[in-house]
Amino acid sequence: MSFDINTVIYFLEIVVGGLLVGIGVHFVPVGGAPAAMAQATGIGTGTVQLAAGSGLTGLLSAGLMMHAMSLSPTFATDGYSIWPIVATGAVGAMIMMDATMLTGSWIYAYAVGAPFASAKVNYDPITGFSQPPYVAPGTVGQGIPTICFVSGTIGAAMGGIGGAMIYFPLVLINHNPAMSAIFAIGIFMVDAVLASWNIQGTIEGFHDPKFKKWPQAFKACLVSTVILAVVAVLITPIIGGV
Amino acid sequence: MAAVRGFKIEPKQLRIYGLVGSVVGIYLAVILNAVTGTNIFSFVGALAALFGVVWGANAVRRVCAYGIGTGVPSIGMLSLGMGTVAVLFGLNIAEQLGVGMLGVIIALVYSLVFGYVVGLIANRVMGFNIPVMEEGLTDLSGAGTMAILGWSFAISGSLGYVDIVKDVFNTGFLAIIFICGGLAILHPFNANLGPDEKQDRTLVNGVMVGGLSTIATGVCALLTLGLAAGMVQIVVGFAVWYYFYVWYFRLARRDAAAVVGTGLLPPSAL
Repeated sequence: MSFDINTVIYFLEIVVGGLLVGIGVHFVPVGGAPAAMAQATGIGTGTVQLAAGSGLTGLLSAGLMMHAMSLSPTFATDGYSIWPIVATGAVGAMIMMDATMLTGSWIYAYAVGAPFASAKVNYDPITGFSQPPYVAPGTVGQGIPTICFVSGTIGAAMGGIGGAMIYFPLVLINHNPAMSAIFAIGIFMVDAVLASWNIQGTIEGFHDPKFKKWPQAFKACLVSTVILAVVAVLITPIIGGV
Repeated sequence: MAAVRGFKIEPKQLRIYGLVGSVVGIYLAVILNAVTGTNIFSFVGALAALFGVVWGANAVRRVCAYGIGTGVPSIGMLSLGMGTVAVLFGLNIAEQLGVGMLGVIIALVYSLVFGYVVGLIANRVMGFNIPVMEEGLTDLSGAGTMAILGWSFAISGSLGYVDIVKDVFNTGFLAIIFICGGLAILHPFNANLGPDEKQDRTLVNGVMVGGLSTIATGVCALLTLGLAAGMVQIVVGFAVWYYFYVWYFRLARRDAAAVVGTGLLPPSAL
């Protein structure tokens, strides 16, 4: 345990990362089981799975970027730089989420045969298309309309940035990528589950009335991530870098 | 049909069983390994994890009976997520302070405190208003920690931080413990929920899945501990699974309204 200004920076990075994950979950169009039956808008799986998916791809791509940086000939003098790592994490998570939403959309459009419609707004804020005529009776929308797709991409970017911002300081603290990844998954799970409890299972994106509940998730994730971050900066390598 | 053994345990009593059983089990495994000088007794760690699983499965059924809106799996993942952090912290701090053997206790205490705080957040900040939320998440966090510790010991055969990091974290076997252990904690209630959910059926199902997880960690132990220790663990896991599977089957028959044979499909349906 050695406390200096870097420890404070690592601590803050982990807290900000946890908050980004918690808020990012609110942007992702999660439909849960109803969406899997094309009876609700969004991706047909739970919040935790989606948050974990985007966060883990963020972790993986951030790790890849860190590896690429360490191969640079000037690495010994330059060291790591956080911005490319965070950007790579965001792009990785966005690709994962967009691929999920795109292939999911193909199934909704061509296999289920449902028109994409949101039940939460009358007009899609981006395309301006009218929504209510296309919402089948007894359902709360189907498929992934444009607004949800855009919102999901933003959410994935926040999740990816969050994942990278948790993973990067952890690697610098304990010098063990495997352990850092698993520790980051632990932090990720806690924040994602708290956020998904806050939205009570399903949300369409930033246009959904439920999105206004985000300050509660912010507070909850702040408290829990601070407790986790204190623990994270206390873990130090013992022998031989493990 | 002979009467099936059922049981009903108070949550407080079950918490004591889970806590004492898992802590004593892990230390017993350490002592047995140290006394005999082998790693054959690592499977006792997996049995200790089963106590944690039963404790956690009961907490899941208490909290989720109120309905949390996101499905039962989320709470299991939360439990294991809190457990992962607590295990790493406990083992590392114990090693730094030079009291390696107390890592289990430090991890447990941290996880209980953290679980209570998360429960408080869930009730106060997010307005869940589930009366047993604080209690339930304290239990779940502790149960997740003990499950991870028990199965980690079953794979590494040692409680030392360096050994666990080398054998469980760096190899990625923790992912298997994470998902299989999570299944053992969250699956029982997920599979048995409904108006006729009974405590004994749910918990027996939990131990059954725990037996399957022990088979999985036994396969991992083949690589880290060698053939003998791994095989013993697989056999023990299979025995646990078989015994509790038969028991679970009987309980399911007991709780079913009727058991009728449907026969094979008629030829026209094939």
